[in-house]
Amino acid sequence: MSNAKRLFWLPRGYVIGAGFVGFAVIPLLLSQYYIFIANIALIHIVLAVGLNIVLGFTGQLVFANGVLFGVGAYATGLLMVDAHWPFWFAFPAGTAIATIIGVLVALPALRLRGLYLALATVAFAQFALWVFIHFDSLTHGVSGAVIPPLNFAPLPIIPPVGIYYLSFVLVIVAVYLAINLVRSRIGRAFVAIRESERAAEALAIDVPRYKLLAYFISAVYAGAAGGLFSAVVGAVVPDQFNLFQIVLQFCMVLVGGIGMIWGSVLGAIAVIGLQEMLRGLRELQEVGFGLLLLLTVLFLPGGFGAFLAKHVAGWRENLRNTSEDHAR
Amino acid sequence: MRKPLPFVLALSLCSAGFAPSVFAEEGITPTTIKIGTMVALTGPLSPLFIPQVNGTQIVFDEVNAAGGIHGRKIEYIREDDECLPARGVGAIKKLIYEVKPFIIVGGGCSNAAIAEKPEIIAAKIPWIITASTADGLTDPVSPYIFSSISPAWTEAYGILQLAIDDKKQRIAVVYQTDAWGKARIEPLREALKKKGIVPVAMEEVSPEPTDLTPTALKIQAANPDIVLMLLYPKAAVPFLRDSFKVGLKPTMVGVSPLLEIDQIAKGAGGPETVANFRVLGAAGYGPEDAQVAQWKAKVEKRFGDRFNLYHLQGIAGGQFAVEALRRAGPDPTREKILTAMSTLEAKADTYAGPFKCTPTDHQCQKTLGIFALKDGRITGVGQTTPSR
Amino acid sequence: MLLTYLLVSGITSGAMYALVAVGLVICYRTTGHLNFSHGEMYMVGGYFAFTFHVLWGVPYLPSLILAVVAGGVMGLLSDRLVFRRLIKAPPMAMVVATVALSFLLKGIARFLWGGQGEFVPFPSIVSGAPVQFLGVTIFPQQTVVLGVGLLAMVALTLLFRNTRAGKTMQATAESQRAAYLVGVRVERVYSATWAAAAALATLAAVLMAPLTQLTPDIGFSLLIKALAATVLGGLGNMPGAIVGGFVIGITEALAAAYIDSTAQDVSAFVVIMLVLVVKPTGLFGAKGQRDV
Repeated sequence: MSNAKRLFWLPRGYVIGAGFVGFAVIPLLLSQYYIFIANIALIHIVLAVGLNIVLGFTGQLVFANGVLFGVGAYATGLLMVDAHWPFWFAFPAGTAIATIIGVLVALPALRLRGLYLALATVAFAQFALWVFIHFDSLTHGVSGAVIPPLNFAPLPIIPPVGIYYLSFVLVIVAVYLAINLVRSRIGRAFVAIRESERAAEALAIDVPRYKLLAYFISAVYAGAAGGLFSAVVGAVVPDQFNLFQIVLQFCMVLVGGIGMIWGSVLGAIAVIGLQEMLRGLRELQEVGFGLLLLLTVLFLPGGFGAFLAKHVAGWRENLRNTSEDHAR
Repeated sequence: MRKPLPFVLALSLCSAGFAPSVFAEEGITPTTIKIGTMVALTGPLSPLFIPQVNGTQIVFDEVNAAGGIHGRKIEYIREDDECLPARGVGAIKKLIYEVKPFIIVGGGCSNAAIAEKPEIIAAKIPWIITASTADGLTDPVSPYIFSSISPAWTEAYGILQLAIDDKKQRIAVVYQTDAWGKARIEPLREALKKKGIVPVAMEEVSPEPTDLTPTALKIQAANPDIVLMLLYPKAAVPFLRDSFKVGLKPTMVGVSPLLEIDQIAKGAGGPETVANFRVLGAAGYGPEDAQVAQWKAKVEKRFGDRFNLYHLQGIAGGQFAVEALRRAGPDPTREKILTAMSTLEAKADTYAGPFKCTPTDHQCQKTLGIFALKDGRITGVGQTTPSR
Repeated sequence: MLLTYLLVSGITSGAMYALVAVGLVICYRTTGHLNFSHGEMYMVGGYFAFTFHVLWGVPYLPSLILAVVAGGVMGLLSDRLVFRRLIKAPPMAMVVATVALSFLLKGIARFLWGGQGEFVPFPSIVSGAPVQFLGVTIFPQQTVVLGVGLLAMVALTLLFRNTRAGKTMQATAESQRAAYLVGVRVERVYSATWAAAAALATLAAVLMAPLTQLTPDIGFSLLIKALAATVLGGLGNMPGAIVGGFVIGITEALAAAYIDSTAQDVSAFVVIMLVLVVKPTGLFGAKGQRDV
């Protein structure tokens, strides 16, 4: 790996530090418009990292992440609108509901692999969308529901700023946990399963249990992201959680780099930024993101994360805490 | 000061948290007025909304050419909300916090509008809705929101009134299962109950159906003398086509989205399929009628659009906005505009009935036109002003 | 009257699903991959027919032939640009790539032809009032669609099983290396397969277009139905896919009328999920399995 030509020197730590500071000061320097966009990006970081764990690290080709995102958003939102729960109860409850559903769906999916898994999860994603639309006694149907704004009393901050910093803190926690997870024994088990389920079994790894764990984790992340999403946007409608949403998420993970947590962070920020730049050019969005995903799969299968790992100092993500890491 | 940085940081944190949500006189200078709008500029519903925005734009262009309003020229800025709440909130925040318009004239898709509404109210910006008929936007009344387009319930009540006026006894209803359809079927159910009428058939269809022959057959079995179609073109065209196929040919009445009767006839297989078809919509005249010829010429010249009834709605909305701005006087503030609008009475060139707003009713337009296809042209054949 | 109409209509649309599914299965058996952009081949094929017949005024039959040829060319292009590089990649790469391709094609179609629905009318000799046949109401256009569809399916199955070309495809699927060794040009076989599948999808679109509506979004829902047919019959099983197509078509029509108009959309998803969870090999057993 060290034979690859180093293009330039930009240690990951500096970039992460700059990003951290940048996100931290946005509400102080920029208008509510930028706060909103940055908040959306933060939410998608959580989504992308969760998806990467099940898709990138464990190699399970699932299209259901958009569903769990939607379930988290609907659960949190409906508890606030219809059951009049305050956000501080609705949010954890919504995340828990999404997680439970994620695990329930994962159970039959454990037996499926590759193409069959993809097919089943695509069908499930469409089915869930249909339920969001037609189960309107619960979900308010196609017109969706409007969420009352959050109350951050007694802190003297307006709701958009409050939810922004809440998201920021959650992102830090989520990324930190994810990094530690993938460096642990569990992370290595995930990768072993991705490389070859049979070999993993031969190594006495309880494959179903670890797969279920991967599904569980991604469900927690997706559910939490969904709960934040409904609070930030202030409304939930079914259209938001269609197949294009999944294409965006896949873009984030694949462009960022399968099996690289920081890659997903970058990928999420890049994709949301790109989508915002393409505001007013929606047809271009379908073409643009389709093309981006296609080109990444064809020419840059490791994503930009792999590219950075090879050519820029300090970007390798190791699976174990080696002395190399400590020396940096 | 020894260590200004913490002090400055604390101050900016406080100011960010305390960000005032009332901007005094933004979007207005001695020579310009900035007006914003967020609509579905792209996506499947854009063919319905872009003409409306273009219509409003033409009105503003005319006013600017004549010197503006009290000497101020209008700058009209559009943002795309893609008919999705997450994109709509982004669009409205961009407008409010970056573009900073004086008022908002427009707003489309109700999916996005429901999420945009709280932002607009929180920022206390006057909003004239010219294109969205969702009842929930103007009911209950908000001091900041006015509508120049007839709300959904008028279409439901109006279409039933048409059936009653025509002395039809056996009424069948076909409606689609989406937010738009729901917004019309509920007031229609209400209206039917009030009049004590029980429909002979009530069929639900998906908004993008492929084959509606089963529905047509079921309705045919109930032997109606009129069918009320609460449908968009994507469902209405197969319905008309398949009804014609099976010989279901009573009077059919549709609502606003079906105003382009000539296009619908083309898709359904020819003018015979719409021989008994009429449309009730928020417009006063057909696009070929003499009363709107001058607007048609202007729109075609500026945008190259095919002039249709959605342009008429946009033109009316623009005229409403211009009248409100005029009445607010040479030193307008947002307060003055709101006051002017709450008692505004005026007439638009493209609607058959007048605007009338009251402090308790901000749904300022309730007259619908009735249209049919005659000799290949969409022609006005009447009007109605329903009441609840 | 309603029930018989539903059955006939279900059989007709079922024939189309079967035709599209056969294309999917041929590709799967030969190359080992499922093409998630197959629905968009159908959609683009339909728009080609629309362009030739409605926009350019070419008569119906030549339009049909031109469109099918154009569809085949689309298949060849996709192979050259996308599929060829991913033939040996793990399933994930191909699935993601074809999903991405489907959005790309959808966006391009929306840009070129607009998002409103378009209609391709049947020529006047065919369309017309319903006909009573043995007490069953049938529309002539349905018989045309059904007839051509069945013919195509039977021809394909026979071709695949009995001709040299078909056997070459099967041989390539069994072992690429062995095929190379006996002089089979594997890349050519793959190209021909993709082109044939795309042409088939176009044929289905052209036949079906006058009965439905053409929008850029129909590709995906058709893909799901074709996938449901394939999975139901057993992944890779050609006769199974044909039977599956008819079953899905009839189930949909009955569900729409007797359960709920919206049940039509959801039956395909439910079928896929149930089959994969309960009996992944489908009704008739899967074939052409690659070691996953």
